[in-house]
Amino acid sequence: MLDVPGRKSVCNEFKEGGGRVAAVMPIHYPRELIRAFGVLPIEVWGPPGMDISYSAAHLQPYVCSMVHNMLAFLKTGGLDCADYIIVPHACDSLQGLGSLLVDFVKPPHPVFPLYMPRGKRPEDVEFFASEFRKLYDWLSSLTGKKPSKDQLMESILREEKADETLARFYDFRTEMSLSVRDFYRVLRTRQYLPAEEFVSFVERVMDEYAGDPPDGVPVIMSGIVPEPMDVLDEIQNLGGLVVDDDFACCGRRVYPAGKSDDPFIRMAERILYGPPDVTRGDLIEERFEHLMEKVKKSGAAGIIFYTVKFCEPELFDLPDMRRRLKEAGIPSVHVEVDINDPLSHQTITRIGAFLEVLV
Amino acid sequence: MGKIAAIGIDVGSTTAKIVGVDEKGEFIWSYIEPAHPRVEDQVDRFLKKLEEENGPIDGIPIVATGYGRNLVHQATRKVTEITCHALGVFRQLGHGGTLIDIGGQDSKVIIIGPSGEVVDFAMNDKCAAGTGRFLENTAGRLMVKLDEMGQLALSSEEEVPISSTCTVFAESEIISMIAHGVRVEPILKGLHRSLVKRVVAMVRSVGLVPPLMLSGGVVKNPAIRKMIEEETGQKVIMPDHPQFMGAYGAALIALRGSRRK
Amino acid sequence: MKRDWRASLRYYWNVKVLGNAYLRWQRWKMERKGPPRKWRTDILAPPLKIGARTKELISRHYLEGRYANGHKPVAWVTSGAPVEILQALGYYVLYPENHGALCGARKVSVEIASEAENAGYSRDICSYARTDIGAMLSGKTPVGKLPKPDLLFACTNICQTVLFWYRVLAEHFKVPLIVIDTPFVYTSPEEHSIEYVKKQLENAVPIAEEVAGKKLDYKKLKQVMRYSRMAADLWLQVMERGKNRPAPISVFDQFIHMAPIVEMRGKPETVDFYAAMLKEVDERIEKGIGAVRNEQRRLLWDNLPIWYKLRELSEYLAERGVAVVASTYTMAWGELAPLIDPEKPFESMARTYIQPILNVGTGKKLEKMKKMIEEFQLDGAILHSDRSCKPYSIGQVDQRNRLIRDYGVPALLLEADHNDPRAYAEEQARARLDAFIEMLY
Repeated sequence: MLDVPGRKSVCNEFKEGGGRVAAVMPIHYPRELIRAFGVLPIEVWGPPGMDISYSAAHLQPYVCSMVHNMLAFLKTGGLDCADYIIVPHACDSLQGLGSLLVDFVKPPHPVFPLYMPRGKRPEDVEFFASEFRKLYDWLSSLTGKKPSKDQLMESILREEKADETLARFYDFRTEMSLSVRDFYRVLRTRQYLPAEEFVSFVERVMDEYAGDPPDGVPVIMSGIVPEPMDVLDEIQNLGGLVVDDDFACCGRRVYPAGKSDDPFIRMAERILYGPPDVTRGDLIEERFEHLMEKVKKSGAAGIIFYTVKFCEPELFDLPDMRRRLKEAGIPSVHVEVDINDPLSHQTITRIGAFLEVLV
Repeated sequence: MGKIAAIGIDVGSTTAKIVGVDEKGEFIWSYIEPAHPRVEDQVDRFLKKLEEENGPIDGIPIVATGYGRNLVHQATRKVTEITCHALGVFRQLGHGGTLIDIGGQDSKVIIIGPSGEVVDFAMNDKCAAGTGRFLENTAGRLMVKLDEMGQLALSSEEEVPISSTCTVFAESEIISMIAHGVRVEPILKGLHRSLVKRVVAMVRSVGLVPPLMLSGGVVKNPAIRKMIEEETGQKVIMPDHPQFMGAYGAALIALRGSRRK
Repeated sequence: MKRDWRASLRYYWNVKVLGNAYLRWQRWKMERKGPPRKWRTDILAPPLKIGARTKELISRHYLEGRYANGHKPVAWVTSGAPVEILQALGYYVLYPENHGALCGARKVSVEIASEAENAGYSRDICSYARTDIGAMLSGKTPVGKLPKPDLLFACTNICQTVLFWYRVLAEHFKVPLIVIDTPFVYTSPEEHSIEYVKKQLENAVPIAEEVAGKKLDYKKLKQVMRYSRMAADLWLQVMERGKNRPAPISVFDQFIHMAPIVEMRGKPETVDFYAAMLKEVDERIEKGIGAVRNEQRRLLWDNLPIWYKLRELSEYLAERGVAVVASTYTMAWGELAPLIDPEKPFESMARTYIQPILNVGTGKKLEKMKKMIEEFQLDGAILHSDRSCKPYSIGQVDQRNRLIRDYGVPALLLEADHNDPRAYAEEQARARLDAFIEMLY
């Protein structure tokens, strides 16, 4: 397997260099703002395979395993390396997690719950920019720093370059010999590597691994996270090839560059005008059209909707998404997982049967 | 009897099956046993038995399907039970349609196309309440023999609805009813109805394409078939050798593959 | 929205003439009848006389809906939405949540939700949404016929789920969707959040005007807000009467009679209704009538009601001398009354609608529960862990533990669902309730 720097080692290295780390929950938040304070944002997407008896002390069983795991991870020392915790808002469960941390769990880290407006209207951009100004003040009080407008813009440009590299990496995947799993391992370093290191790492990978992509029936995956990552290997074993994705942690966060010279507005624009995301309130039609574009571009034969059990945003969308896709002649399948369970025979069979239909 | 030209093996969670087909794809030999945890050994024995009764099998293509298919090293290819069931039933009955398969641990609805291909499918693979397990559990509690359940259920005019969806809660509900003097037969009828309603909901979710067909272990239960007909208003057709449809389909795929060469 | 004079004619005839007369006669009959045969007069006070009026108002509301399309602009609205703007513009306002609750109470929610489930909507999504989507897809409803919306109006102050739910409705009905996004108040409401809500409200006006085909009359808006405030004040007073020993009404009564404040907030008849209800409640207090005849223990109910088990639970608890006299849920439509300021409509609406209990942090909710326990002199709390309502349910494990540990208040976490009886395990629930009640004595 390709050698990819791990989250924990990146965290330790950054801290040894004198920097501070903010543990950030899903989904959308301004990386550039946090970096401008010399703080590295490291994202927490689970991780999978936790013991939820630690989180069951606060959360009911019908809360998704991602949120359970974030809490269990915190309680078992997983976030000890971080100095701060930021909890963005994406759904009722993350809202609850943020509130629980602030009021009841009270970790030693200062906690900042960050609200996200649901829309792309001018008032949404303005509000988001105000939330970021609030975050600026909070980080300022904790670090003693006050980055200037120029420093903020510098940080923004650095993140925009990293996102542009990310977009290029996506485009380049049909010209690389990477396995699907390795492709995603590299891609997901965006969740924790400093932007400039991400850029050089990805450019190196694109150089070293230029070649023919693996064979397989082309499919697109859509959902929240590709966890457990074993699923990517399994899809390859079953004769499929993931050629693009609409994952909340990956494809939905290939943010465009912003336009404004007000740094806070620009940060808000980047997120709100990004690829369609149900948690941002984007209409079903938008997500459908976005997926169809991906299908056309990649030549995918079908779509695997891969969701975490209890994820309401995805579950509301799916029937109409799948209906529209069916009408457009694109087959799809829905697979639900719990990120604490190993990939089940049932899940593999479902995906296998779907790939057999596409052939 | 013709010579065996291809072999299909279906390693399920409760039973393991093997089918041999001739060069025309006719179903000519089969064998079934309760599933053994040591899959490879069981398959070895199956193949030996097949050789003893039919002659050497060197060079004959083998395809494996079912729960334990990845452990069948003797197979040249592994295909999911969805694709195999569809092909087996199609070949057996001569047409496509909607196939309902209620197994011990899961239930499936497969829409079979005009050439035996899978057009769409739905699976209930997470919850015992939509599977044979639901009936098994309760048979145990009510001390009724599993193979008598269906008849007993149909023998009752009255039917007591079971509102719980979860097998565990349904058990509590049933025990409470028995304690209040409700008879076993109406409860059994309600239990079967509950299972069938769940399966029919799955059918509706993919869209019923007539004719309606039924396969799987539960086929022997007359109440299931009758109730599916009641709930859908469609006649239910059952293939011969309903338990072997997966293995049969696998054998056909093996045959197809060898012909291509 | 296209107005059709034939639809208007049908509306006037069926609603204003026939409907009103019939419903008035029904109310007259009901007021003269005693309690229904099945009513447990041995353990409960007879049902409130105002019930006849409640039934009349709600029946009329749905009857209006049946004939509204073509006569008035129709909006489907979330229960916590700033509906005053739409009321002032003359919209007929329908609450899918309330319709869902009605289906739950009438025990038809499973049948209707199954229509949505058969169309692919998972059972893991909110049971109100499934009931509503099922009604939309199949046309099935116990109230005759639901009008199609010309406008969808969703406010996220009760949950994010409404955002996803109303997008599905927008997909199906292909009408404009106005979202009023109310940022969650983790600690205290912030000025930039209030400003954001205010802007959204102001920008919603032209869209609502266009669909309605008329301009907003700001004088009318003030009047609607005045009525809203008056009704909410009266409702608050009704609930506060629960502080009396014995409590004159229980939360089960509140769950039924809250319908007007949710569905018809801003109308003058709602003000009259709660004034009449308050009068009847005060009469009960004078006569020493308690909702539960043998009130020995008093409880708090947290989270939504279990709509399909209202009578059973009320009787079960009353048999054991337990009266549930306060609830965080019904309180939500009264406690913010003081914030409504008709002189500053948009600013006060923003301030009010950002602060219902569902939009405020779990710590604040615990404080509120503790305050209610003190003020109403309560002996314990039932926290309904509603699997369909994550914003209300998340935090309950800690809230329950702290009520017991830090305040010595017995508290029960009861797992169920507000509208889906398939998620209610009868035997297990009884066992828990029994054990809990034993703790109270």
